[in-house]
Amino acid sequence: MKTTLTVLFVVFLFLWYLSFSATRLDRLHHRVETSWANLDGLLQRRAAIALELARSELADPASSLLLTDAAYQARDASIALRSQAESGLSGALRLLQVDLGSDARPAEMALLSELSELSAKIRVAIALHVDSVTSTRVVRQKLIFKIFRLAGRAPLPVTYEFEDDAI
Amino acid sequence: MTNLKSLRIGIVCPYGWDAPGGVQAHIRDLAEYLIAHGHMVSVLTPAADEDALPSYVVSAGKPIAIPYNGAVARVLFGPIAFARVRQWISQGNFDLLHLHEPAIPSLSLLACWAAEGPMVGTFHAASKKQKAIYAIGPILEPVIEKLSARIAVSEAARLTLTAHLETDAIVIPNGIYADRFTAGVAQPKWSGNTLGFIGRFEEPRKGLAVLLDALPLITRVIPDIRVLVAGPGDSEEFVTKMDPELRNRITFLGRLSEEDKANFLSSVSIYVAPNTGGESFGIILAEAMAAGACVVASDIPAFNSMLGDGEFGSLFPCENSTALARTVIELLGDDERRGLLAAAGQQNAKRFDWDTVAKQIFSVYEMAMVGRDGVRLASETRSWSRLLNREEETR
Repeated sequence: MKTTLTVLFVVFLFLWYLSFSATRLDRLHHRVETSWANLDGLLQRRAAIALELARSELADPASSLLLTDAAYQARDASIALRSQAESGLSGALRLLQVDLGSDARPAEMALLSELSELSAKIRVAIALHVDSVTSTRVVRQKLIFKIFRLAGRAPLPVTYEFEDDAI
Repeated sequence: MTNLKSLRIGIVCPYGWDAPGGVQAHIRDLAEYLIAHGHMVSVLTPAADEDALPSYVVSAGKPIAIPYNGAVARVLFGPIAFARVRQWISQGNFDLLHLHEPAIPSLSLLACWAAEGPMVGTFHAASKKQKAIYAIGPILEPVIEKLSARIAVSEAARLTLTAHLETDAIVIPNGIYADRFTAGVAQPKWSGNTLGFIGRFEEPRKGLAVLLDALPLITRVIPDIRVLVAGPGDSEEFVTKMDPELRNRITFLGRLSEEDKANFLSSVSIYVAPNTGGESFGIILAEAMAAGACVVASDIPAFNSMLGDGEFGSLFPCENSTALARTVIELLGDDERRGLLAAAGQQNAKRFDWDTVAKQIFSVYEMAMVGRDGVRLASETRSWSRLLNREEETR
C-alpha cells in the first residue's frame, strides 16, 4: 500500500513537471513571436522611411536608386536572408546621411530624426529578440524537452545574425 | 513621450517602501513621472506603515528583515504575500508589469511567478559571484525567462546578471530630476575649501573611513579644509576615534531635505565618493554632477563608467587614502581644472535626466507589449490540455 502511494506520488510529480515544462516552453515560443513581431514592425517602418527618403529631394538619382533597391530587398527577403538585406539597407542609409550635411529642409529633417530614433529602437529590439531566441534554443536542447517532444510541431526559432554595426 | 495612449502599469517594489534606498527612490520617481504623463500606475510594495503611503502605492504587508548580500534587506514573501500579489494582478487589469529585482526572494519574484503577459524586469544589484544564486539558478531560470525584456541599471549590474543567470539585458541608467539639482543655490556656510560626503556613513562600504584617513595629509597643505558629512547615522563612533585636532574639521549635518541636498552639492568645492565597492550605480554622483560639483570618486567599476573614466570627474585608486589626499590637494589648488571637470560633469548628468531615461524605459514597455493583450494570472493548467491534445493527435 505504502509503495503504491509512493509510486503514484512520484508519477504525479513527474506529470506535473512535464506540464510545467510544456507551459514554460510555450511561453518562450510566445516570447520569440512577440520579439520578432516587434523587430519586424520596426524594420518595416525603417524600410518605409527609406523609400520616402529616396523619393524626396534629398537624394540624388543614384543614391535614390540604391536606397529604393535596398529597401525593397529588405522588405522581400526571407527570414534567413533578412539580416543581410537589412545590413545592406543600413549601409545605403549611412551613405545618404554622410552626404547630407546640414542643408536638409524641415520636412526631411523630421524624416531623418525619425530615422535615428528608429535606429535606437531597432538596436534594443534586436537585443531582445536575440535573447529570447537564445533562451528558447537553450531550453529546447534539454533532454526532457527532446524525449517528450514538448516543443510539439513548433519550428526551432532562427537565430537572427546581426553584425554589431549593422544598424 | 510620443505615445499618447494611456497605459495601466503595475510596478512591483521588492524592498520596504519606508526604508531609504536607491531602488525605492527610483520606483517613486518613475511612478510619479509616468503619472504626470497621463498613465495609470499602481506600485505594490512591502510597507511598515500603511497609512503614510502615497495614493498610487498598495501595501502587500509588513516587510521581513533578512541578511542578504552583506546588508539587511527588508523583503516580503510567503503564502499570504503571494495571495496579495495574485489579487493585485487579477484586479489591476494591467497592460504591463514592471518588476524590480525579480531575482531576489521578494514580491517581484512572486509576481513574476504568478503573472503572464508583457513583463519588464529591472536588475539593480551588482555583486560578485554568489554561490547561493548558483544553487537556486535552475529554479529561478524558468521564472526569470518569462520577462519580455530585462533592463540593467549599469554595466556592472548587467555583468552580474549574465554571470548568474546567463541572460542578457539592456542598460538603462537610473534617473534623476536634473533640473532640481542644477537649480541648487550655493550657501556660504557650506562653501570655501569644503569636501562634501552624502550617505549612510556608518556602512563601511560607503568609505567615510578612507576620507577621514586622508584628512591629516590634506590638512597639512590646506589648513582651512572642512569635511561636511550629510546622511543618517550615529556620528559618535567616528568622532571619538578621531584625532582631537581634526575633530573641528568635520561636521555632521544629519539627513538633508531634497532642496538642501541640491544646495549642499552646489556649495561644496569637491564632492567625494570614497566607496569601497558593492555599488551598482551611484546615483549620488549623477546628482552631484547635475548640481555642478566637482566629483572625486574611487575607481570602482560603477563610478568608472559614471565618470567616463575620469572625463567628468577625478578618480583615485579604491581604498587608497594617500591617493585621495593627493587628488584633493591638486584640485583645490587648481580652480580652472576644477571648473572644467564640474562643467563637463554637469553636461554629462543630462544623460540621467528623467526625460531621457523614462523615454528609454517607455520604449522598452512598448516593445514588450507588441501583439499582447495585457497581464493576467498564469494558467499553469493550460499545459494539461495541451498534453492531452497531443496524445489524441498521435493516436
